[in-house]
Amino acid sequence: MRIRTTREQNILRIKTSLRWIVYYLLIFLSFIIMTSGTLYKPILLVPLAIGIAVNNNIYGSAVTGAMCGFLIDISCGKLFGYNAVILAFFCIAANLVFELYLRDRFINFMIITAVVSYIQCRLDYKFYYQMWGYENVSRIFVRVSLRVWIYTVISAVFIYLVLKLVNRLLMPKEHLTIEEAFNTNIQPENRR
Amino acid sequence: MRDFIKSTRFKVLLAFLAFLVGIMVYAVTKGGYSVSGASFINTITKPFRAASNGISMKMEHTVDKLKNADSYFEENEKLRKQIGELNAQLTEYDAIKAEVEELRKFVTIKQDHEDYQLSQPCKVLGYVTNDPFKSFTIDKGSEDGILTYCPVVTSEGLVGITVEVSKHVSTVRTILSPDLSVAAVASASNADQGIIEGNVLSSENGHTKLVHVPKKNKLKRGDLMITAGSSGIFPKDYPIGTIIETGFDSNGLSVCAEIQPCVDVARLTSVIVITDFSGKHQDEEEEEAEEEAEEDED
Repeated sequence: MRIRTTREQNILRIKTSLRWIVYYLLIFLSFIIMTSGTLYKPILLVPLAIGIAVNNNIYGSAVTGAMCGFLIDISCGKLFGYNAVILAFFCIAANLVFELYLRDRFINFMIITAVVSYIQCRLDYKFYYQMWGYENVSRIFVRVSLRVWIYTVISAVFIYLVLKLVNRLLMPKEHLTIEEAFNTNIQPENRR
Repeated sequence: MRDFIKSTRFKVLLAFLAFLVGIMVYAVTKGGYSVSGASFINTITKPFRAASNGISMKMEHTVDKLKNADSYFEENEKLRKQIGELNAQLTEYDAIKAEVEELRKFVTIKQDHEDYQLSQPCKVLGYVTNDPFKSFTIDKGSEDGILTYCPVVTSEGLVGITVEVSKHVSTVRTILSPDLSVAAVASASNADQGIIEGNVLSSENGHTKLVHVPKKNKLKRGDLMITAGSSGIFPKDYPIGTIIETGFDSNGLSVCAEIQPCVDVARLTSVIVITDFSGKHQDEEEEEAEEEAEEDED
């Protein structure tokens, strides 16, 4: 591997810190949007957590997933930690899938987000409504859960664009020597 | 000059002047502009005069602006500042007015029910995201004397019950939720009892449901349902909602009714929590007394 200069290392450190600050500002903003008003809203934190997870290291993904999950629990009035577990799990899974099998493409992000979001909505419906056997409970799935899922998938497009912009500005570029470029087994260095 | 006075031209001009004087005298008798000629001229010239006047006014304004630009600028700045101050005062006034109106409503609760121990007015922090039963959080918690399962009300009627209480925030489950059951009785007859319990279908329209009402009842559309106060959780005789329509339960054994809550649960800004009232936990006290009596007997 090529040894980085001190200046490059400093830039890397600053950009990484800034990037995470921006990520968490976005998370905070999404939480505020989710908690305001009485209308049905997308669970913005799901695509955001997935978007962050697919572009960063696995530990950061897990922590961010858990953090977003806790915030979903607070805003949606769910058992504290319930969504944190789900989202931390899916963020780790998404990170691994993108690292091993998928490329960082819009369509891949949308598919993963749609699947995770659907599972999250389905589990939420299962544990909080269907399990209690309310009369006409399937209406909640159709009128609330599915609607929220669709909103979430639509919102994922915008979240992808915002994250793409943040990553373009603040994700450190990979510096490869010619020898490194030939070596296909090299792990990306920018996943900090 | 003498030739001119003797000339026909002079006579013609004199006649013309006399004619004009005649018109003038006629106009005086007719009230000035109402003379048909004047009206005609006015009608014809009106658009031209208007255009001309417009142009001249604009010109004057432009000249005036250029001439007094500095003083206008200063005046404008001064007025802007003044408007800003007045707007701030108005906002403050509106906020205070709204607060006073809210407080006035809550005072009536205390006046009507002297036995109630009320919390301070609680602001609604926000509704639980995507909850079909409109649960919400309020800005008061255990430090303000609120406990779990305290009734939450407005001056109009019952809203729900506190279910999760932290130090400074509490979550309220509303009467739209199927997880909350309130014993209710018709205000008119004070005999037809039932259970107010939320329902998925009803909650879509902001309604709740009255269930388990005996078949023999006198309930009708428009009847006000109030709390029965039999559980010891809710105070007695507090308004819940009015009956919209009645029907039979799915089992056909009892009657149910669609209830329009007295309070628009989906649009609350502030509520009040009843922390204590006479008859609270009556059941528990009775059970405890019975248990004590049994122990004494043993």
